[in-house]
Order: sequence, then structure tokens, then C-alpha cells
Amino acid sequence: MSRPSEDRSGELRALFFESAAELLQALNEAGLELEARPADEEVIRRVRRVVHTLKGDSAACGLHKLSELAHELEDVLTPQVAGLDGAELAEVVLTAADSLQAMLAAYQKNAKLPTLDAFHKMIRRLLETPETASNPGPGAAKGPTQFAWTEYEQLMISEAVHRGEPVYNIALRIDATSLMRAAAFQLIRNVLHGSGTVIALRPEDNLAAATVEVVEAALASTQSEEKLFHRCRIPTIVSEVQIERVVASQMPEHELLGDLLEAQAAKFVAAGAEGIEADKAAKTTTPGSAAAAVAESTLRVDAARIDAVMNLVGELIIGKSMLNRTLTEFDKQHSHDPVRAKLADAMAFQARILDELHKCVLKIRMVPVEQLFRRFPRIVRDVAKQCGKDVALEVSGQNTDLDKGILDALAEPLMHLVRNAVDHGVGSPEERLAAAKPARGTVYLNAYHQGTQVVIEVRDDGRGIDLTLVRAHAVKKGVVKPEEAERMSDQDALNLIFESGFSTAREVTEVSGRGIGMDVVRTVMDRLKGSIHVSSQRGRGTTFQLRVPLTLASIQALLFRVGGRLFAVPLSSVVEITRITDHQIHKVDQREVLRLREQILTLVRLNHLSRLRSIDLPSVKKRNFVIVIGAAEKRFGLVVDSLVGEEELVIKALPGEIVSSDLVSGASILGDGTVVLILNVPVMVSRLSRATPLGAIA
Amino acid sequence: MKQFGALLRKDSQPVRYLVVDDSVFARKNLIKMIEMFGGELAGEAGDGLTAIAEYNRIKPDIVLMDITMPQMEGIEAVERIVRQHADARIVMVSSVGYQENILAALQKGAKHFVQKPVKPEVLYEILRYVLSDDPSAAGAPLALAGESRS
Repeated sequence: MSRPSEDRSGELRALFFESAAELLQALNEAGLELEARPADEEVIRRVRRVVHTLKGDSAACGLHKLSELAHELEDVLTPQVAGLDGAELAEVVLTAADSLQAMLAAYQKNAKLPTLDAFHKMIRRLLETPETASNPGPGAAKGPTQFAWTEYEQLMISEAVHRGEPVYNIALRIDATSLMRAAAFQLIRNVLHGSGTVIALRPEDNLAAATVEVVEAALASTQSEEKLFHRCRIPTIVSEVQIERVVASQMPEHELLGDLLEAQAAKFVAAGAEGIEADKAAKTTTPGSAAAAVAESTLRVDAARIDAVMNLVGELIIGKSMLNRTLTEFDKQHSHDPVRAKLADAMAFQARILDELHKCVLKIRMVPVEQLFRRFPRIVRDVAKQCGKDVALEVSGQNTDLDKGILDALAEPLMHLVRNAVDHGVGSPEERLAAAKPARGTVYLNAYHQGTQVVIEVRDDGRGIDLTLVRAHAVKKGVVKPEEAERMSDQDALNLIFESGFSTAREVTEVSGRGIGMDVVRTVMDRLKGSIHVSSQRGRGTTFQLRVPLTLASIQALLFRVGGRLFAVPLSSVVEITRITDHQIHKVDQREVLRLREQILTLVRLNHLSRLRSIDLPSVKKRNFVIVIGAAEKRFGLVVDSLVGEEELVIKALPGEIVSSDLVSGASILGDGTVVLILNVPVMVSRLSRATPLGAIA
Repeated sequence: MKQFGALLRKDSQPVRYLVVDDSVFARKNLIKMIEMFGGELAGEAGDGLTAIAEYNRIKPDIVLMDITMPQMEGIEAVERIVRQHADARIVMVSSVGYQENILAALQKGAKHFVQKPVKPEVLYEILRYVLSDDPSAAGAPLALAGESRS
């Protein structure tokens, strides 16, 4: 068994200890809450989730004793046991937190593991007492349901609900007499997949099912509740069915991913806020807790507080440009006033400080993508092993910084893409050898800055996506009509995989078949104001490009006018600005081009790009400005009437109903109250290359 | 002997069965039960290959399929039948020791399984369940599974 390099595993451990400390904090808190409200099922559920995570993480890290301990604890936390005596449970949870902490500290210092007899005794006693309850009465059916979906699954559920799709939380008790648990579970899976879209499923695979008594699922289905009930009552397999429809009001309030993240962060920090003091007190008072020795050098701050600061800085920037304008006017009226120079100095000073402040605030939220990437070597290894493939992972660009909120939101989609790449992208060694490729496949994970965006790439050197199959499948699923599929360009056909309804959730493989389709990945990207792009070459491999904004807050932009309207492009995508006269413009293939230092540059007029037609025609002039814009490897020239200047714009998101064109990525308000539309350069480029069959832009 | 209400098709005709098992005794046993349920034996087969041919010929409503047979195993037969007839209703009949095979058969599109020795009341419930299924909503495995990115 090949282990990750020392360095890697060291890093992984560090990450584990960091998150374990957080988990323990949550455990401590929950314990206290349980003491206050003994029978609160929600808290018990939360404890269980935390312990479950800890169990998984520590096992992944090779800390088996810790994992075992967590496992034991998890056993105690079944609702039957837990429901018995809440006060005692709180005690157990707190003791458990201490024991786990002692163990963690020992691992961290490579010290001898503590013996935890008291804890074990406690668990044993708890497991023995509930004999009376081991024969659950009719009411107990409600007990075992957890529906402890991950944030991501919750998001999917809430999205489906808000789309108006009925979603049901379904709990099925596997018949105790059933001797073939795995087969039973597979059958349940078949039935669920046959009844709708499975959003979440516990357990997740047949292996885990061997020990499980209750299968839980979140299912989006158009079938009636009664029909579902009958479908789920599978004779000899399922002894008890519980179905509850998820209604919108039950869902957590946060509809937006951003809110979700914030809420999570807030939750986190609520733990940390009292935490710092309380923690120290706890550490000193808990005998045997060696954790106090491990110093914390970072400070946790509520994300909402940072956002508040960020907003204020944004307002300050708008204020700055207001002042600037006033100063310009003052200049005109009192050009000889000595106060003018003083004012200008003060302004410049203030602007510089403001600039620094802005950068500092942005940096607070930035973390290297490394934090996300380092989980993947292990994942790739495990998935590859599971499907009998030989796959290496190559990671680059780990030091690219990205907003923490965005990074966290990217975790699941990226995980999905990487798993897919290993599972479906890379072929088996035999298949690869037959295609004259090395038996070992490679998945590449890369990140880099491009303009104001961060690009994250998942690439494999596998078999590529078979467009014929994609087309056929899309037609079968009713995503497109057969004629449409025929006419579609290859790229458009490829993009069909992102269409909702295309998802092949019925996949039987364990690895990727969790019912989360590519459409969901795209939904997350849309939320983040990012985009996803796929390119694939048959036999050569597939690349997914995720683009997300560096930050959602502000950009340096170049302002210009076309046809009386004010627009802006991110300054980072401007290569140069040049002046042209009409006779320099040539026509090639219906396109206007400009010869610029021996290079042919395609010219774009905003009013020609389909959806912005409502703009007045630019005044016919002999002389125009051309802004040369570069994005990816492509360049084009934007013909504009006049240049206005450079300005820091605080981006205000536009609701979809207001701007129907994806050519506009946002808007901003200038100091004088004028609204300026910010153009979406990547979309313009892709629009352009679609319109140019030859793609001869550069 | 226990009495069972007749299991009928939606059009009130008797359900037509194909019984596949290499043991003549096992087949007889199953056929007896089918008749108890008011069904009609449409065909029999002692191996997978014959089962496929018989399926194509008689288009039964239900197939009762043994897992281990000579010539072609039940799993492969399931796969081939489902590939051609996505709405086929196949119930696997097998001993407890063959969990892996049953799992595979379910993944290939079998609708249910029943353990040997088969008890009539258990088979009855299973058949009633399988027959109540609307074929249009039934799950055939995806042809695209290998390439699609779900």
C-alpha cells in the first residue's frame, strides 16, 4: 500500500487536528445544551453527526483507536438509547469530548495513548440499561429517523423544493428477518431510483448496508405519497415505511449558498466566541487534558463581521469617488484657490489608505486553494482502488488564493468532478494499454488566477466523453429533440451534460452514483457567479474548467461609453487601448477586423452582440477608440465612442429579472449616482468564438 | 391448504409466468404455487439460453429465475432479457448463500428476489408487489452507465 509522502500525510494530519478541535468544540457545546434540554432530538442528532464525522476523519488519518472510540460513542447515540435518560447522555457527551480530546492531544504529541476505562464503562452501562427499550413499541418507528443530510444535500433538497418539486424524506426499516442485507439494500435502491430522483441516501453503499437497519433517503418524485408508500413497502425487505414530505418552511431559511455558508460560519464562531475564554478555563480545569499544551495561533472571527467591514469599505470607495467628482468641479470653479492643492493632497492620502484597507479586508477572506486540494490525493487513491484502476493525481497551483467562502462552496462540486474523472474518465489499465496509453491514468488538478477570476481545472487523460452517447441520452431523457441533437455543434452537445434532467442518477457504481448530476455542479457555479466549461477529446481526455470570481466585492474597471450608455470592463482584462480611424477597419467574412502591429484583431461593437441591441447606435464618427481585451488566449477589440476613465467599482449584483443578458455580470453606482453596467468578458469571448466558425481571433 | 386470492393482470386475464430452474423438482414446486395464485404457466426453461428464447417467444408477465444454472447463469440471462425488454419483470429465486449473485442480478435489472425454500405466502406478496409496479416507471439499467458523467 503506497502511503502519501511524509510531507503530505503531515499536512493531512495538521488539517485533521485543526478540524477535530472544531468538532470537539461543537461536541462540548452540544453536551452543555443537552444538559439544559435533555430530550432535544435536534441536539442529539447534531452530536451524532459530529461524532460520525470524527470517526470517519480519524479513520482516514489512520488514528484507529480514536476512530474506534468515536464508533463506540456513536452506538450509544442511537435514539432509543439516547431518548432514555437525557441528563446522563449529556454527561456521556461531555466525558466523551474530554476523552477524545485527551486522545487527540496524545496523538498530536505522539505520546502514549491514555486509557479510558471510565469512558468505556460508561458506554457499557448505557448500552445495557435500555433493555426495556430494546423492544420498541409502535411509537418507536419515529425514533430511528435522522435525515442528517450534509449541507450540500440540504441545499439540493431546498432547491428542488423551491423549484416546486415534491421532495420526501423516506425512512425504511429493513426487515429483521432478511438475511441478505446488501441485496435488500440494492433492491431498495432500485425501487427508490425507479420512483424519482434520489437526492441523498444513507447508507451510501452496499457495504455499509450490511449492518444497517434503517435506510434513509431524500427523494424528489412526482408520484403521490400514497403510491410511494406502497412502492417502498417491499415485501420481505422492508418492514416499516415512514414518509414525510419536505415543505419549504421546514427548510433552513438560507436559500442562497452564500447565506448557507455564512450561517455555517456564524454557527462555528458562536462556538468559538465564548470558546476562547471558556476553552482556556476548561483546559486548565480538566485534569489529564493535555490539549492545553497545543497553542492556537489563529483567531476565528465571525464571517458576518468581516462582511460588514467589507461592505463599509465598499461604501467608502463610493464615497471616495463622490469626493473626487466634487473636487473636479471645485477645480473648474476656483482654479486658483490655494485650498485646492491642499484638498487634492488630502484626497490622495486618503485614497491610498483606503486602497490599503480594501486590500487588507480582502486578504482576510483569502486562503490558498491548497486547503481544498490536499484532500484529493487520498480521494483519488481510494476511488481508483475501488474501481480497479491505476490513477495518479497531479496537483499544481496550490498557492492560488481564493475567498474562503467560495472555496468551501467549491468543495463538493470539485469532489464530484474528481471522482467522475477517476471513475468514468480514466479507463481500466487494459483499456488504456489497448489505446496505446500508459496503464496508469493521470488526473490533473490545477488552479490559477486569470484576471479577476480564479480558474480551477480538473483534467484527465482518459477516454473522453462520447458525444454520440451524450446526444442519444439527451434525446432519450427528453432534454433535446432528436433534430436538435443532430444539428448541435459538438461543444453544444457536450454542454448537454449540464442540463437538468440529463443526470444519470441511476448509475450503479458506488463511486459517483450518488444521484448528484452535473446540472447541480453548474447550479453551484451559477450561485457563485462563476462558470463551468467542459472540453473533451475522444480518446484524449476531458477537462472541466471551473471559473469563480476572486472575490465577490469589487473590481478595478475601465469605464467607457457606447451609444450614450456607460459601461465598464475589468481593468485586468484590458490589454491596451488604441485609436483608429474608419479606413483602418477592414471587412473579412462579414467581420470587422483591425490590423494592429501585424496582428489581425476582430472588432466587436456592443450593439452587434445579440442581446444588447437596445443600445442606441453609436454616433457615426471618423475616429473611434478600440479597447483591446484579452481573456484566456483570445483577444478582441471593443469599439467604443469615448473613454471615461478608470475607477474602482463596488459590484452590486443584479437580479436575473433586471438584466436578461449574460453579457453583463453586474452593475455599479458611481459617485454621482450614475449606474454603470459591467461587461462579462469571458461570456463575450465565448459568444464571439461561437459566432466565428474559424475561431480565428487572436 | 391456505387459500390465496387470484393475482390477475390489469386486464383481468391470468398472469403468465415463465419458470426457469435447472431442477425439475424446483420448477414443479414453483408451478404449483403459481397455479394456486390463479396464474398460468406460459413456459419453462432449464437454463439461461432457453430462458431467453422462451422469453422472446411467449413474452411472459413474470419470470421466476434461478441463479445457478448450466449453460448460462441467471444473472447473464437477466441482463440479456432486460437489455431487450426494459419492462421485463424478473424475480430471482435463490438460496441465501448467493447474496453476491442476487446483488448483481438486481443491478442488472431484476425486480425482486425470493429465498429458497420458497414459501407460498412470501412469493405471493412479492408477486403482488412486482405486478403492482407500473412498467413505465420501472428501472432498467442505463445503457450509458460507462460514459455518462452523472
